Amino acid sequence: MIRPYLQLSKRLLSQLLKQLLALIAIVRLLFPGWLRRRWQLVVASVLLIGIVHICATLAAPVFSSGHAYQLLRDKLPPNRMVVLPPQAPARQLLPYLPPDMLYAMCRYDLTGGPVAVTAVVADAGWALSLHSPRGGNYYVLPGQQQRRTEVSLLVVPSGPDAALIPRRESPTDSHIASPTLEGLIVVRGPLRGLAWAAETEATLRRATCTQVKR
Amino acid sequence: MSLFRKVLFKIAVLIALALGGGLTTAWYMIEAGSRLSTRTFGPWVTWAAAGRPDADPYTRAHTARNGLLPLSSTLELTFRARTDSNSGRLSSACDYAVVMDEFEPAWWGLAVFDGQGRLIANAADRHAFSSSTAMREPDGRTVIALARDARPGNWLPGGRSNRIILVLTVQDAAWAAGVHSGGAPKSMPEILRTGCR
Repeated sequence: MIRPYLQLSKRLLSQLLKQLLALIAIVRLLFPGWLRRRWQLVVASVLLIGIVHICATLAAPVFSSGHAYQLLRDKLPPNRMVVLPPQAPARQLLPYLPPDMLYAMCRYDLTGGPVAVTAVVADAGWALSLHSPRGGNYYVLPGQQQRRTEVSLLVVPSGPDAALIPRRESPTDSHIASPTLEGLIVVRGPLRGLAWAAETEATLRRATCTQVKR
Repeated sequence: MSLFRKVLFKIAVLIALALGGGLTTAWYMIEAGSRLSTRTFGPWVTWAAAGRPDADPYTRAHTARNGLLPLSSTLELTFRARTDSNSGRLSSACDYAVVMDEFEPAWWGLAVFDGQGRLIANAADRHAFSSSTAMREPDGRTVIALARDARPGNWLPGGRSNRIILVLTVQDAAWAAGVHSGGAPKSMPEILRTGCR
């Protein structure tokens, strides 16, 4: 959790230092002598502000009640691919989700075993993507111009959870390790107008998501 | 004032400053972004690490708080514009032309939302154009007219929601790699205000 912060730290520190020096210069100009008298308070405030800032930023994804997985959880039965109706003002799936796409989604749960996924990624704009509950997209297969790709995957757990569920060897499936036991599988196809809508929907309906029993 | 009260007062001031300053700066960095987490090209702003499992904490918090489900930014970039190319706030009271000249990623989509990311109801039931659905001009450009009332060509209804946001989705791994390597895209769409009521 801290690692991305460390990657940012060089740029972050140099930017914060610049802003702090500018602030000090302004305060010294406006209130001469004030900083010398209150420097302990200023240093303590800056340190505490930094601590609260970092804690609030790291806590936001954990305590946020509005992330995509939670918003979709009730609409999607576990381990079943559902083709969702086209987005409209009254039935929008998620904020800012491109409305010129049709979506098939599956909420997977690996506690009962791995999940087998098949789908067709038909053209440019199409994509098959796997997301963790926090929204991280850990696998994506994009569509390519005028190239239809049939995909067959087996989503298996990774890390310490892997030991709990035996992996099945299959000659045809690619094994994709999921960082969490739950997540979302999304197949999307661009809507290219009314004439093509039925074909896009039919292609999405071919997508499957089924649990492979132990 | 006794020494005890003075110390208590100082602690209260410190806590208020820490909470106020820390929460306000965190909120700003998560909602608006900064140069650490976003890249800006004219009016278009993108969260550079959106969707990636190794995204920075600001991007992860932004994604979670806003209920977003982005594809990894190594493949697809999502740009949002709240202003036109002359820095005027986008409003449904005005008409705009979104001009795409030599803008040719593998696939793009342009959608309009209200200030909260909701689709805007309109009689034409149209909310977006993409590289598959937009008509091109004879000179090869694509022009999308964002306006409240019907326009010839690629008309994207702006509705009556006051504040509007344009979202441009670009799916092209090579194009995205160019942006991540620090270079500016060859050409980004311009948002030109053509009139106001």
